[in-house]
Amino acid sequence: MVIFLKKFGTTLTGRQFGKESFSAFLPSLKQFKKDEIIEIDFSGVVTFAPSWGDEFLSPLLDKFKDNLVLKNTENLSVQATLRLLEKIHNKKFQEKD
Amino acid sequence: MDSKLITIGRVSQMIGVSVQTLRRWDEAGKLLSIRKNKKGHRYYKKEDVESYGVKDLFKLAKFWIADDSGFEPSSAFYCSDSSVFQARLSRMENELGKIKELNLIFPLISAITGEIGNNSFDHNLGNWSDVPGILFAYNLNKKMVVLADRGQGILTTLRRVKKSLANHQDALYVAFTKIISGRAPEARGNGLKFVKDVVMNYKIGLFFQTGNAYLEIRKQNPVFEIKKSNTNIRGCLTLIKF
Repeated sequence: MVIFLKKFGTTLTGRQFGKESFSAFLPSLKQFKKDEIIEIDFSGVVTFAPSWGDEFLSPLLDKFKDNLVLKNTENLSVQATLRLLEKIHNKKFQEKD
Repeated sequence: MDSKLITIGRVSQMIGVSVQTLRRWDEAGKLLSIRKNKKGHRYYKKEDVESYGVKDLFKLAKFWIADDSGFEPSSAFYCSDSSVFQARLSRMENELGKIKELNLIFPLISAITGEIGNNSFDHNLGNWSDVPGILFAYNLNKKMVVLADRGQGILTTLRRVKKSLANHQDALYVAFTKIISGRAPEARGNGLKFVKDVVMNYKIGLFFQTGNAYLEIRKQNPVFEIKKSNTNIRGCLTLIKF
């Protein structure tokens, strides 16, 4: 299953906004089967920052671990944010070209 | 006196020009004062001064943060809550995206602005010292972004999760360099570490002050060093140059 982050907006910053986005997404999470690959697609996202990312991506990384795959992550703010979140959680994101 | 009228001395401090210059500007029609009679003292309308202050946003932010009683900044720069900030940040991002030479790095400028502004809201909500919200202004021709808040400052808010902090310099150093993973009693986004990584790696200039501690990272030869200032400010004051 693919989650298009641009559906939440193109300027993804702020802890509060990150929490709201995650809450809005929670009901959809229940549809995922165990061991299903969850793809997060960053295409169309312009600004991505750790405060939003920590509220949205970190719980997904905890839950799905290696089954969480990120794609279209070439935007520099996405790259910089992912590297910081990896340091914070001491885990690496799986990225797909 | 009308509370929206400002004395010439105060205006001089606000926009950083001498009283004599202000008198000259008044006579030339550049920044008009109000006088009760021809020989009376000059007063200025708050909105006139603030529109003029657009020319030196950083001075205006410094004045706003240093004011003893606090006042709401011009609506052009004032973000009373995070939703207003978010909307204005999106607008800035859109305008930045049209500048060809910033093609690759504009999302980073927008992201660090977002982290600094959101930090002010996240850590001061319900605890503002007087005026809630932040001052957020930018001038893309001058390639600068200014943010300021009259909140509690980093030392007070960071002590909630790290009690051992001795002073503003310690707090600023920790905020910009140490990963804090504890989420109780409040979540920390580690956003200032992100800001540091970005400005050091992409030749973006940064001035950041809280209390009497500041750091200044220049675009060329970036060096991270916390210094002690002679002035002590409430909240946080930021200038980003790109």
